[in-house]
Amino acid sequence: MKSHTYDFKGSDLGTLLGWPLVLPVLLAAVMHLGAAWRLLPAPRPILDIDRTILIHQAEASRLRHGADVVFLGDSSCLMDFSAKDLEGWLPPDHRVLNLATLSYVDLPACAGLLRNYVAANPDRLRVVVLLLHPEMLRGIEPVPQYLAWLQKFYDGADACDPNTVSGRLSCLLGFDILKGRLLSRVLPVPLAKSYGRYYGFTTDLHRFLTAQQGSAIDPHQFVPQPGQGNTEYRLSAKMETAGSAFRSALPPGAQLIVGITPSPQSFVTADYPVRHLTMLADWSQCLQADGVLADLPPTLPDRFFASTTHLNEAGAQLYAKILARSLRQHLR
Amino acid sequence: MLFNSDTFLKFFGAFLLLFYLCRNDLRARNALIVAASYFFYGWWDYRLLSLLILTSLLDFFVGIGLERADLSRKRKALLCLSVAANLSLLGFFKYYDFFVESMAASLTRLDIPFHARTLNLILPVGISFYTFQSMSYIIDVYRRQISASRQLVNFLAYVSFFPQLVAGPIERAAHLLPQFDRTLTITRPMLEEGLWLILWGLFKKVVLADNLAPLVELVYQNPAGSGPMVVLGTVAFAFQIYCDFSGYSDIARGTARTLGFDILFNFNLPYVATSLREFWQRWHISLSTWLRDYLYISLGGNRQGSGRTYFNLLITMLLGGLWHGAAWNFVLWGLWHGGGLIVCRFWREWRGSRPGLPAIIAWPITLLFVLYGWLLFRAGSFEQICLLTGALGNWSTPAWLKSYLINLIVFTLPLVGMELWQAKAKHLLAPLALARWKLALLQGLLLLAIALFWEKDSTPFIYFQF
Repeated sequence: MKSHTYDFKGSDLGTLLGWPLVLPVLLAAVMHLGAAWRLLPAPRPILDIDRTILIHQAEASRLRHGADVVFLGDSSCLMDFSAKDLEGWLPPDHRVLNLATLSYVDLPACAGLLRNYVAANPDRLRVVVLLLHPEMLRGIEPVPQYLAWLQKFYDGADACDPNTVSGRLSCLLGFDILKGRLLSRVLPVPLAKSYGRYYGFTTDLHRFLTAQQGSAIDPHQFVPQPGQGNTEYRLSAKMETAGSAFRSALPPGAQLIVGITPSPQSFVTADYPVRHLTMLADWSQCLQADGVLADLPPTLPDRFFASTTHLNEAGAQLYAKILARSLRQHLR
Repeated sequence: MLFNSDTFLKFFGAFLLLFYLCRNDLRARNALIVAASYFFYGWWDYRLLSLLILTSLLDFFVGIGLERADLSRKRKALLCLSVAANLSLLGFFKYYDFFVESMAASLTRLDIPFHARTLNLILPVGISFYTFQSMSYIIDVYRRQISASRQLVNFLAYVSFFPQLVAGPIERAAHLLPQFDRTLTITRPMLEEGLWLILWGLFKKVVLADNLAPLVELVYQNPAGSGPMVVLGTVAFAFQIYCDFSGYSDIARGTARTLGFDILFNFNLPYVATSLREFWQRWHISLSTWLRDYLYISLGGNRQGSGRTYFNLLITMLLGGLWHGAAWNFVLWGLWHGGGLIVCRFWREWRGSRPGLPAIIAWPITLLFVLYGWLLFRAGSFEQICLLTGALGNWSTPAWLKSYLINLIVFTLPLVGMELWQAKAKHLLAPLALARWKLALLQGLLLLAIALFWEKDSTPFIYFQF
């Protein structure tokens, strides 16, 4: 007995499946031509928390801000204090901007942000504070994708991923152009879990960063548990090399001040405060720093932390005061 | 295997080719469907295929036994055997841990020491769906509404037909089983319908439901939030669960249509209902009719007076709630709807031949009732239900309200537009009446949006957990 018969022609199938493809193909052409002829706005793919912060800081580094004190560093520098609060604790003629990022980009990328800022704000910069968590001094490699995102943003290029089939297809169909240039400007993306609860959406986080002069808050709460990380902190040789290259990005007349952000008291070993001072001394030496924030506490009570590397909101408020007190001594 | 995954696209492509090659042999086609369905199911966890096969074989032979048996007592015994076996498997895998944990919690409250021995069982995906489908066959044979199937392969195909295996619609043997016995003709209109349903279903799942999910999460992860956000979050969930589940049903129906099969419509514009009774005639139709035909009517339906009818309604909806999952919030959701249906029935009886509420009043009341039901359904615990309900009195709003509203509007408007169109045209397939180029344009838009939001790691359908 026959199973089934096909009561249509091959051309019917072609029409049914073919016609719906016309619109996507047309859109792909429009997107590529729009991008090539610069009819579309520049790429600004604030599509998740990492890219929102990265792009905010890259944009902020290119704006006329007028800050004379600029912070650079890792996510602990981003999260451990509010630049706005800190400014309030400093003498009134100082303006502060935080250009640290959540996704760790290496020191050359930080130097790039600094160069942008100097170009956009000539003769303004007086102090550059480089704040890193001891975790980063081990010379952790940055995620190549983060560096690629930053570079593509500078180049005005769309975020195509040529390494996967779906990435190539997305690129070919103009989806990266559509998402990065248009959708990201009109459609806020919800953030997940605690970040979502605190900030809501990418655009709201972007607004928060602008209001806090580049700083953010880690909304988590640290709960000490075994096996949360390696506390054998040390300064890697790689960081020493990268540090001296960073120094060269400073404009003449600006001083470089370095500091190390705190760790939870219960997390580190008893000898850590001594190691902290040694690392700070070595780190400042290889950077040829003009000043060292040696009186910053190496540890704080656990209740002030969101994670092993970030302070929480209460911790950030406290740390802004401590940081301001320490920094005042270096401001001319 | 999920419909919204690259794996399914490859699987279905390969299946279509083999299906074409089987076009001259009905037995080969049905065997192919069984093999493909088992492959589709086993992709998730091959070990649990044994349950599906066991259920199918048991009901196939019990069905034959029922048809052969003349003695009422013997027929009843066979029916009881099948129902007990089916419900035992379902109960063990789905409810064992829940009941043990609930008992332990109750005894602990009474200061009676009890060591809960939970088994942490994996819930076999789709077990509620295929068990009910197989049971409906047995009950229909017992009631002599259909003849027992004598073709094992056809029956296996009926229980495991992959388009609707894991999340329905829960098919009836009288509708689906005969389709495995005959030669099917696949026409151009069937292909058009299939393609439309697949695209519209995928759009509802990939674009609407999956983008509404984080909006729901934002609100329900912070149950002590603000009233407006609880309302908006619940509205978002109402759309999410509808798009997710009806999306699955549409893809299932569309997939079956391209193969020449016809499976039931599971949704018919539920949110336009102006009474709770009407809502249940439009929402998850295959389950609500199953509960009506095999549970409510078996309990006596409305034949034994008002009091018994109300009781039957309550029990039916309570079990309907529990069918969704082993958790007290589903029980509460079932009771909420059962209570609502009792009030509706009482109201209908009380007003007699007098006119009911005008639609402009009845519709928002129904919708508000259904929405609060969704809050009970989505909340993870009693505590969360209390917090969410309490938050309704707090009318502060978060700083990100505007972003929330933008997302909510963007990801619900296409559905609202389509449903208004379908309601106006009084036809769920209204788009198919469009001029060919207009339909192609609309399909192109859907395709574009699906491709744009397609995730490599596809999000499972909500109803898979049931």
